[in-house]
Amino acid sequence: MASTSMTHSQDKASALSQGLVIFIYLAILTGIEFFIALTMDSAPLLVLVAIVKAGLVAYYYMHIYRLTAVEAETDHHSYAYKLVSNRIGLWLFLLSDSFVFGGLLTTRIYLLGPTRPALNQFLGLTVTAVLLVSSFFMNRAETSMEHGDRKSFLLNATLTMLLGVAFLLGVVAVEWPNAIREGVTPASGTAGAVFFMMTGMHAFHVFTGVLFLLVVLRNARRGLYSAEKHWAVEAATVYWHFVDLVWIFFYPALYLIGKLIG
Amino acid sequence: MKNIKPLWRGLLLLFIGALIGYVIGVALDFLVMKAVNFSAPVGGLFGLLGGVSSFFFGLIGYRWITRGLVFQLIGTIVGALFVTGIRFILGMDVFGDFFFTEPAWVFGGFVGGLSFLVGVGAVDDWFKWAMGEETSEHHEEPSGWERYFSVSLDHKVIGIQYTVTSLLLISIGGTFALIFRTELAHSGLQFLTTTLHLFDQNGLQIYNTLMSLHGMIMIISILIGIAGVINYVVPLLLGAQDMAFPRLNAFSYWIAVPAAVLLLSSLFLGGFDTGWTGYPPLSARAPVGMQMFFLGVIFAGWSSILGGLNVLATVLRMRAKGMTAFRMPIFVWAAIATSLISATATQLIGLAFQLVMFERLLGMGFFDPVKGGDPILFQHLFWFYSHPAVYVFVLPGLGVISELIPVFVRKPLYGYRWVAMSSLGIALVGFLVWAHHMFASGMNEYLRVPFMYSTLLVAVPTGVKFFSWVATMWKGKIETPTPMLFVVGGIVVFLLGGLSGPPNATVATDLHLTDTYFIVGHFHDTIFGGFVFPFFAAIYYWFPKATGRRMNETLGKIHFWMMTPSFLTLTLLMMRVGLIGMRRRIADYDPALHIDGYHLVMTICAFLIAASVFIFLINFFRSIKHGEEATGNIWNSRSPEWQVPSPMPAHNYDHPFEVVGEPYDYGLAGSQYVKFVDSE
Amino acid sequence: MRHFVIIGVLVILVSVLTYNGIQASHLMPVEASAQSIPVDWMWNADMAAIAFLFALIMVPLIYSLIVFRRRKGDTSDGEHIEGNAALEITWTVIPLITVVVFAYLGAYTLGETRVIDPNAAAIRVHAMQWAWHFEYPQGFTSDQLYLPVNKQVDLQMDSSDVIHSFWVPEFRIKQDVVPGRITEYRITPTLIGSYKVRCAELCGTAHSYMEAPVVVVSQSDYDTWIAQQVKAAAALLNATGPDAGKALVNKFGCLACHTVDGTPKIGPTWFGLYGSKVELSDGTTITANDAYIKQSILQPASQVVKGFSPMSFNAQALGVTDQQISNIIDYIKTLK
Repeated sequence: MASTSMTHSQDKASALSQGLVIFIYLAILTGIEFFIALTMDSAPLLVLVAIVKAGLVAYYYMHIYRLTAVEAETDHHSYAYKLVSNRIGLWLFLLSDSFVFGGLLTTRIYLLGPTRPALNQFLGLTVTAVLLVSSFFMNRAETSMEHGDRKSFLLNATLTMLLGVAFLLGVVAVEWPNAIREGVTPASGTAGAVFFMMTGMHAFHVFTGVLFLLVVLRNARRGLYSAEKHWAVEAATVYWHFVDLVWIFFYPALYLIGKLIG
Repeated sequence: MKNIKPLWRGLLLLFIGALIGYVIGVALDFLVMKAVNFSAPVGGLFGLLGGVSSFFFGLIGYRWITRGLVFQLIGTIVGALFVTGIRFILGMDVFGDFFFTEPAWVFGGFVGGLSFLVGVGAVDDWFKWAMGEETSEHHEEPSGWERYFSVSLDHKVIGIQYTVTSLLLISIGGTFALIFRTELAHSGLQFLTTTLHLFDQNGLQIYNTLMSLHGMIMIISILIGIAGVINYVVPLLLGAQDMAFPRLNAFSYWIAVPAAVLLLSSLFLGGFDTGWTGYPPLSARAPVGMQMFFLGVIFAGWSSILGGLNVLATVLRMRAKGMTAFRMPIFVWAAIATSLISATATQLIGLAFQLVMFERLLGMGFFDPVKGGDPILFQHLFWFYSHPAVYVFVLPGLGVISELIPVFVRKPLYGYRWVAMSSLGIALVGFLVWAHHMFASGMNEYLRVPFMYSTLLVAVPTGVKFFSWVATMWKGKIETPTPMLFVVGGIVVFLLGGLSGPPNATVATDLHLTDTYFIVGHFHDTIFGGFVFPFFAAIYYWFPKATGRRMNETLGKIHFWMMTPSFLTLTLLMMRVGLIGMRRRIADYDPALHIDGYHLVMTICAFLIAASVFIFLINFFRSIKHGEEATGNIWNSRSPEWQVPSPMPAHNYDHPFEVVGEPYDYGLAGSQYVKFVDSE
Repeated sequence: MRHFVIIGVLVILVSVLTYNGIQASHLMPVEASAQSIPVDWMWNADMAAIAFLFALIMVPLIYSLIVFRRRKGDTSDGEHIEGNAALEITWTVIPLITVVVFAYLGAYTLGETRVIDPNAAAIRVHAMQWAWHFEYPQGFTSDQLYLPVNKQVDLQMDSSDVIHSFWVPEFRIKQDVVPGRITEYRITPTLIGSYKVRCAELCGTAHSYMEAPVVVVSQSDYDTWIAQQVKAAAALLNATGPDAGKALVNKFGCLACHTVDGTPKIGPTWFGLYGSKVELSDGTTITANDAYIKQSILQPASQVVKGFSPMSFNAQALGVTDQQISNIIDYIKTLK
């Protein structure tokens, strides 16, 4: 409860700067991660870094603590009451969805073990950076909406969406053909199958996130959201960060952990 | 009387539509194959879809479910043509063994399923929200019987939709079972012979398809059945006006309908011969029917996931004032436990099937040893859901047993908190036992002993339930109307299912028992005891709440006394022949085993069970109109839903209630469970 | 108190009766292997526990239904008993201990079935849709599994297509045969006799018929059989003509799906096949000559006979040579 009330009293500037600080942390951790992979090749360290990154995203970007913010409101038909129910519903959905990604990670570990597919690590780092930056703008967009700044919301959410599209293109139009040129195709073996399935499933989620953002952007332009009532914006934000959070684990699992095959 | 007309009209159109669909299918097949094939797969498929949609057209006209089915038919064709067109442009094969090629069928089936949801109107409100429009809280719904064919947001309507759909699927799955049970009555092949030729399958393949479909259709009917009871009862028990997310609730129901259509369509597209488990590499080689099966399961899986999520949110958010965790009716605890599993683990069966689907479509080698894949990985992913799934099936049933015993025994539920915690215990331990299905699979040997420990551990919370039930009945004043009969029957049958479990858990014995009819008998005992008997008990018990009339007591007792002994004989004989050497999933058995006599008895028992269920169905549909009136608290229950007159008003309780006591304080003078706020 | 005494007596009585009833109905097939002894021991331990638990629940349940039934005219409620923490803990802890004991027994008996004899002879088992082949270290392959009594054998099993499962009910133990890996099945037959291996994992259309003879014989009979087989294999190596063909047909297990007497099975019959007109599923008609039969053996899906389904039968996995195919064709020619 204490943290919630503190967040609410936060003014816009400090909220934005908090988002920036978290972004810098995440960026540094991503760099460290890459460094670990190139020099030490230590899987436990990489997993640890991923968990720290995921924790930062879940707490500061996805505001998981809001789940405990059960308002004193008892009227089941009020907006405030429904907002809390909706949050619970959304998080339950994410919990459910994370079992798909967990299953895919299990598949990757089971089939590939201590090896990794022959992929371009710098390309992986690039798309990861694009997604990370998009998360930063998404956070700015939500913070703006929370403080009723519609213009800033529109700008930041548009940037997020464009970066999301850039990520999609990066994966589907650059990374996939590149992998196929390297001989990693869906049918070439388990490494290819795992790579295309994991990135494909993730890309599908990014795609739905982009659609969600499109809808929210359109409705925001028409003035349907306010500082008090913007559940759709919050949901799109949390979903977007969730997709980023999944990538925080997928990226090292595909590009960093393990030795190259052959 | 005036409702009879549309039904006859529907049945008439069913035949006409099926015929037209069949003729169109056979004609299309002729155009491509240049040969007349009266058992052409597309003929059967179009006949099915044409018949079902015409039936609903006759019944309610072109709206709601009819529109959904027509959309599904068109969506399937459009989707398939889209892929076929792309293949044509790319110069690939345009037509396959089953008219369209496999990718075309998969995409068509997927688009068709989604089209159903659009056509039926299950996504209308969300589409409006996305467009920035408001939707009203209580949306317009038709009144009377027609609302059951429309997208209603009322949890009671949805509960009944689920329940009736479940009964329908149970009848279909049961019919399949009767067909192959008849074939098994004697060794040798009698009518499913190798020269039989139907929808591109010979008799053995038809047998395998029916046997596999029996499994999955029954599983889905169970998921739908528990969703029906939970949907109808849980909000009433909590004192809520509806579920937390009514639109999602409607969506969860309606997505199960195209799932059932997809599943059944596999029968016509070459079938599949893998059983409901769909193990690769066999499932990677099966005909296109396999893909329809996968799609059907994935759609039904989403129904289960979203339904479970909704139940959890409802319990967390929609309880009446004063209803603390340990003052909730015990059935709610069962609903929580079951929803925890279905909302999460279900994703894994979806994923496992999806991986095989893509292995077939794109040559991805997840489970193909030639490409470095491993068939055993599939079994891990599959059982991670499919074992907990059986707890999804039985926990609500066990909850019904715990909920009903105090009412008919007039005593408090013995050890309420222990019973509540045992449900959660079973659910959580259930996540850690999956590999006991794989003791003989060739997986890492060292996994066998830990999984034996975790599996046997399930016996502890299950035992708590049995002991508590018996202790509740001890020194009670036991009445045995039909619902209580089914509760007691459920306890006895589930006891046999539970007791035949440990020999499967202790690895050495399981090496003999696994994949035999012993398992088939064990499994049917657990599911009948944990789901079917309590499901019937719940229907007999809550039927008056929904309709204001009660089901015929005499027919109910005939149903019980006909079904229970036949069922016990059936499953005990299944176990017996399994031990002697009868394997699972075989169309024919070695006469040298000398088990023909047992099989004949089993077949007779199966028909007796079917007859008893038929009596139940007659009773059910007849009682809706002609049952004895029962508007009051006929079971003399303390539960809140029985404190108001039946049938339940449209928006549940006119006056909210407050929980002021324990739920099961039978025999405590002056105690009260709920107090209606304005009634005093 | 009176109730408890009656219940106690009845529980003991019913447990004993149930256990003896189970024993008297001879549920298990004969014990034909050393491994079946620990399995059956564990089974009996399970049955004892089951008989007791069955009585423990059923006796008070039925007793309550009879003794505590509502009498006519009685409208009062039962006694207000909410529960008893000590009792709950008892019936949680005692089953917990029982579970641990049974899991220990389960692990112990599993170990007993896995005792390894380093001198066990290895036999390769090849499973395919829908036949078993047994490759002996003496260099021949048979469609029957001959085993010497009281000697452990180590079956090294692989599959060329889908998952199968090796099960001889009289041996108790079952082991899946998984493509892409070799699974091991160690067994010590102890009883001379004829049994059958039955595939226990659904493997497609003719799964029901995937059975093969397992014959346990004395050491001297075994040696004789091996010697015969070695000789026959050597003779077969260079033999030609219909008799060699017939031997090959038996060796490869072709008759799992085809018959030689005119009745259709999974595949078409061979009776009167050679030289006849065969109608294929694509509508064309072809004469069954040497080329047609060879093609059908090597690529069965390429020309499917009308009324039958294309099969994924894998002849290459058997390592059939051209000479062997021509021997089989010679044999088919004699079937008239």
